[in-house]
Amino acid sequence: MGSSSSSLNNVPDGQQLMQETGFSAAHLLRLYERFKFLDKDNRGHLRSEDFEAVPELSENPIGDRIVGAFFLPGQETVDFSSFVRVLAHFRPTEKNRTRAGAQPEPANSRNRKLKFAFRLYDRDRDGKISRTELLQVLREMLGMQVTEEQLQSIADRAIQEADLDKDDAISFDEFRKSLEKVNIDHKMSIRFLE
Amino acid sequence: MPPKRRNHDIIEVENVGMDVDAEPDSDSEEEARRRSRNRRSKSQRKAKQVSEDEDEDEEEEEDEPPRRRGRRKTTKTDEDETPQRRGRGKRTKPQDSDEDEEGDKRRAARKGSKASKKKAAKETSDEESEEEKVGRKKAGRAVSKKEKEEQNKEQKGNVKGKDGENKDKKKKKKMSSSSSSSSSDSDEESLSEGEIAALKEQVEEKKKLIATLRNKPWRMNKRLSLLKEAQDFVEKFEGALGKGKGRRLYAFKVMMTKKLIKFNRDFENFKTACIPWERKIKEVESHFGSSVASYFLFLRWMYGLNLVLFGFMFGLVVLPEVLMGLPYGSIPRKTVPRDEEDTAMDFSVLFDFGGYCKYSILFYGYYNNDRTIGVLQYRLPLSYLLTSVGVFGYSLLVVIRTMARNANEGGDGGDEGEFIFSWKMFTSWDYLIGNPETADNKYASITTSFKESIVDEQENQKDENIHLRRFLRVFANFLILCSLGGSGYLIYFVVKRSQEFAKMDPKTLTWFENNEVEFVMSLLGLVCPPLFETIAELEDYHPRIALKWQLGRIFALFLGNLYTFLFALFDEVTAKLETEKSIKNATEWALHQYYANYSSFYNTTDVPPPKVAPADVIRGPCWETGVGREFVKLIVSDVQVTYLTILVGDFARAFIVRFLNYCWCWDLEAGFPSYGEFDISGNVLGLVFNQGMIWMGAFYAPGLVGMNVLRLLTSMYYQSWAVMACNVPHERVFKASRSNNFYMGLLLLVLFLSLLPVVYSMMTLAPSFDCGPFSGQEKMYDVVIETIDQDLPAFIGNIFIYASNPGLIMPAILLMILAIYYLNTVSKAYQQANTDLKKKMQMAREDEKNRRNNKDSTNQVMKDLEDLMPDKSLAPPPAEEEKPPEVVIDKSVKPTKTKPGTAEKGVNVQKEVSLAAPNPRRPVTRAPGPRGGPPGNTRSPQPQPGKGRGQGAAPRR
Repeated sequence: MGSSSSSLNNVPDGQQLMQETGFSAAHLLRLYERFKFLDKDNRGHLRSEDFEAVPELSENPIGDRIVGAFFLPGQETVDFSSFVRVLAHFRPTEKNRTRAGAQPEPANSRNRKLKFAFRLYDRDRDGKISRTELLQVLREMLGMQVTEEQLQSIADRAIQEADLDKDDAISFDEFRKSLEKVNIDHKMSIRFLE
Repeated sequence: MPPKRRNHDIIEVENVGMDVDAEPDSDSEEEARRRSRNRRSKSQRKAKQVSEDEDEDEEEEEDEPPRRRGRRKTTKTDEDETPQRRGRGKRTKPQDSDEDEEGDKRRAARKGSKASKKKAAKETSDEESEEEKVGRKKAGRAVSKKEKEEQNKEQKGNVKGKDGENKDKKKKKKMSSSSSSSSSDSDEESLSEGEIAALKEQVEEKKKLIATLRNKPWRMNKRLSLLKEAQDFVEKFEGALGKGKGRRLYAFKVMMTKKLIKFNRDFENFKTACIPWERKIKEVESHFGSSVASYFLFLRWMYGLNLVLFGFMFGLVVLPEVLMGLPYGSIPRKTVPRDEEDTAMDFSVLFDFGGYCKYSILFYGYYNNDRTIGVLQYRLPLSYLLTSVGVFGYSLLVVIRTMARNANEGGDGGDEGEFIFSWKMFTSWDYLIGNPETADNKYASITTSFKESIVDEQENQKDENIHLRRFLRVFANFLILCSLGGSGYLIYFVVKRSQEFAKMDPKTLTWFENNEVEFVMSLLGLVCPPLFETIAELEDYHPRIALKWQLGRIFALFLGNLYTFLFALFDEVTAKLETEKSIKNATEWALHQYYANYSSFYNTTDVPPPKVAPADVIRGPCWETGVGREFVKLIVSDVQVTYLTILVGDFARAFIVRFLNYCWCWDLEAGFPSYGEFDISGNVLGLVFNQGMIWMGAFYAPGLVGMNVLRLLTSMYYQSWAVMACNVPHERVFKASRSNNFYMGLLLLVLFLSLLPVVYSMMTLAPSFDCGPFSGQEKMYDVVIETIDQDLPAFIGNIFIYASNPGLIMPAILLMILAIYYLNTVSKAYQQANTDLKKKMQMAREDEKNRRNNKDSTNQVMKDLEDLMPDKSLAPPPAEEEKPPEVVIDKSVKPTKTKPGTAEKGVNVQKEVSLAAPNPRRPVTRAPGPRGGPPGNTRSPQPQPGKGRGQGAAPRR
């Protein structure tokens, strides 16, 4: 398997990550370059400040949460393999491949994508998006433009829409159901990882 | 936070465990050993965690394998999984280092078996008949494994080698180019390893399908078509996995498709970038909502229409006359008369479209009545008439077509209203936005769309006193009818008075009496719209509907405006026709005298025409040019007024409010003057009536269309700047209907109204005798008749004679009415069918949902299908053994829990559920997820309402 692994040699755990995440060697190389690009001081790991250099994240209302999703609990840094593992969520699903009894859910399945998104909103990780969590997001997204009262009614309304079991919070199932018709596979995919 | 996070991490690890268990070929002892170890290590870890967590995970493990095992699996996937397992194994339990070796061994063995299968399948795929294939396959399996293994490896090595080459190339490229270009890289590389793997898998799958097709419980037709499909596929892609030429060809193909896709994408982007003002309008929309944006969309549409009309007018009328017609100054109609020459270049005259402007190609009078001009024998008069009619025809066509298309579009928005707010909240952000300005716009647009939804929602939830509302609405309409009638009478009265004034000597009249009509009109235009708006408050409609009413009412008011304008114009025309008649008579008499004198003096019949400079010729008033000038002046003054209003009413106001606010005694921004809102109804109607003027005036002033194009162009920029700079969004931002068919309807009405006077003048009024393309004719349309008589073969003339026979026209009209009736009926029937189908689809979808969510089904096929469905619940369904407690809990807890306080619908649904629970084979109307809850419940039943079945994730805390 000569030359392909030689190019992968530069990437730590290249082969292994490749098999694990489904990325091709080319993608990994590219991601690694990106990683090194973000890693300004060549420490071999990224800090949250490094992520903030990405304008797409700094502009995003929930950007800090997305950045937070890269970090394992209690850790200040993220190394390349976990970086790739998180990004594997955003690998587009292959269209023409019927996964008839294939592997267990890969990270880029619809369910895992949704779960990833869900965790972004579920701040306290209790498996439910509560009203306060919704309000936080809304405040970040709408800001001063809308009165507090309206914000609250939006949050109430959103919960009311999605909440099936009337516990005033959105569980993952309810979240999934409410987004049933949204094309998650498309929305949560990064094109160049095709 | 941190402990929770770790929790989630562990879950992920458990998922890995699940993966491992999902191995289909788990019968090997190794596997079993491994799994048990796996579990052991897991439980060690888990001991640190909360107990509930553990339960759930174990449940996962126990539940998953049987389901998975039931599935057919390709051996290929095993190969994929092994390393994966290895990788994760390292993470979870670094202590077993022998793991890797084991994995490798097994992998090698598998590869062997896989290779044999593959080879067999490959062989078979060449054969035609199914039976043979199966037979062969069996034989193929018998072939020694080793041989195949070698082959396979070789093949693989080859593939990899190629890949490596590709990659090396790519690497070089990357080094040279900057690392930031994203998509181009992936395009360069034609076949990545992952793709090859995927492809192999697919080919494998297809082969498997071919092999097992005989045993499938499908119809013969389906089997045959599937077989064909699979064979084609295998044939096509086998080459890709093989050596040499086939693979290269395939790689080339893949590269080309990728290039094509990229090109298409770029082309789409390019197309979007080419839509004029798309970004401007989007920006306005994001800040002011779709209602304001709908005006700008309308403006843009109008601009497109006018551009086409301008193309017609300019290309078929103006340009030929300029290029091939006689030059300026050659004949009287193309020359400024002597007494006007001194002032012809004065700015005030030019600004009034007198002087040189009046005798230019802008106006009707400039065009010559030669039947053909230039070397091309271009029939200008005919083309003038046909183009003018064609402008109307084209406009009608476009308006009606747009309306029809919009009506189609408006139809399918029915089922969107399910999770409006959730969707908006979770999915509205565009994660590719990296530009602060764009981000600002996106914030604004999200806010606006939320506001729009809030207004819609408020409207839906309005609990109203229907009798009062109805009474108020009738009352409001009554008031508005009164004021409309009053203003109509006022206009009528004033116009009548002005006619009387016109007969008197203008010097005896005061200034007011001279300008009474204009004064009253603008007063009405100023007072009535706000009055209507105030009255409309009574009706309390949704703002979208209120806007339509407002538009309709102001439209009715403005019709009065139009009426007075046309009335005045008509008076002018009749007066001019009178003077023209006398001048014509005088000229003819003079000419006659001249000829008589000349012939008697020189005693010859060969009389040369009188030698008079074109500027000195006595000429008629040329009423068509007069009308054209009126229209042009009106448009120009309209533009001035509109722009000045924006400048003063919006910009100056905003300026004052903004900067005087620092030194003022009350809050100007929040208080009295505040900032202006964008006046949608006024602007739309302005645009509509402006277009009406263009349609009417284009016949008398061909240059008017070009001026209008300029006007629309400038107002697009000017207004979009003004609205962004000086206006604030409406207090109730509302969502405009996606089709602005109401605007189109108004436009159609105005088009029809403006068609009438033009056609009337074409058909009945006599054209001026000394100016314009129709001079010398009795009626304008005589040009057509002349052409038919002289230039077309005789039978066509006959056809026209027959066609204009009333005996033929009456039946034709009758036929048309019948056709309209028939089409109308058909369309109604289709509508009915459409709604029925929609209902059916809705029902089918719900049905399907129910079925899909019913995890209790024991049918193997159904289970397989379910597993294929993309949405599997977060919490896995519990093991079969745990069912009984669930049912018990459901029965005992549910009814008491749900009844108080929940809506009717909720109760119904839940009742169904509790009914369905005892019988696992029945459809359940909710997601599978909730069933994850019961185990938690069995352990610690939570009595408070709302903590019930639906909480798959609750116990995980």
